[in-house]
Amino acid sequence: MTPLRVSLLALTITLAASCAGRTEERSRAETAAVAFYEAVAQQDGIAACALLAPETQHEVETSAKQPCDEAITDEDLPDELGRVTETTVFGNEARVMADGDTVFVSDFDGFWRVVAAGCTTRGDVPYDCELKGG
Amino acid sequence: MMRRLKNNGLSLFFGVIFLLALGGQSVVGRAAYNEEQRTQGRAEVTYTEYVTSSDFAVDVTENWQSEYLQFLLYILATVWLVQRGSPESKELDQAGMESDEHEKIAEYANADSPKLARVGGLRTTLYGWSLTILMGALFFASWGAQSIAGLARYNEQQLAQQQDPVRWAEYVVAPDFWSRTLQNWQSEFLAVGSMVVFSIYLRQRGSPESKPVGAPHSSTGVTD
Repeated sequence: MTPLRVSLLALTITLAASCAGRTEERSRAETAAVAFYEAVAQQDGIAACALLAPETQHEVETSAKQPCDEAITDEDLPDELGRVTETTVFGNEARVMADGDTVFVSDFDGFWRVVAAGCTTRGDVPYDCELKGG
Repeated sequence: MMRRLKNNGLSLFFGVIFLLALGGQSVVGRAAYNEEQRTQGRAEVTYTEYVTSSDFAVDVTENWQSEYLQFLLYILATVWLVQRGSPESKELDQAGMESDEHEKIAEYANADSPKLARVGGLRTTLYGWSLTILMGALFFASWGAQSIAGLARYNEQQLAQQQDPVRWAEYVVAPDFWSRTLQNWQSEFLAVGSMVVFSIYLRQRGSPESKPVGAPHSSTGVTD
């Protein structure tokens, strides 16, 4: 096999692996958003808070002045996430767009967690989010 | 062995310091990236994650493209443009593509000339441009890679700030892309321009990049 063919094969394998990795990451980001909404819908505060990013969890507790698992079910979030229409991943960050909400999630050591939810677009400026860390 | 090392000292030296600098950049780049991650309340990344990230890729490729552009322009500009007194320039009356005889191609080639310089025709013409073609290809490849890595990095930051990501066509006309590009270009152009002018009046004994110490300021294209 010539060096050119070896290079092309290596490039093809790398691109294929990269595409497969992207698909997997999209799926995991989407799963985190869906699981978070399911936990909130079931009033399972412990499960919902376990799916929040640390800063977001802290923000929930600080603003409500009570533990996250008690405060999270009182947040003014849409009733349901609905059908996911588009999930976009760049690096460790993702945006999950669904019929009922837009959720931002981030990868924490292989575990995707919700950074912001209940988000409404405002064009070129950051989304207006009911739940948000930092 | 020692003789081979000595005969290739210049390329080996730069190859080694390139790898050391790239390694150093990856270590401190990861530290800076993780500092930013902590500030934003995000998870830190491992060394492997960082060297395969868009953050590292864009920082590397934005410098590579400007270096290759610098040499591409230098190789081409010095064909037609001259600078009186600079050893970086040809003699004032030699501007242009030069004759086949001067370039030692086709029937003017020597016995030890490269085969592609001897054969004539399209192959010799292409060989006569091969350095520019390679430098140009490396420039456009690095610049293209910068645009893709830069897009991924920019969109990662957009998402981290709860903003919509942009498409490639939007990114390549965005301030982030051109800021990264032009900040590198201006430094390369300054360095080359400075070298051309400084070498008229200043010397480095023993360096082929300098005129001989005793050469007059007015002598052009004299390096030995």
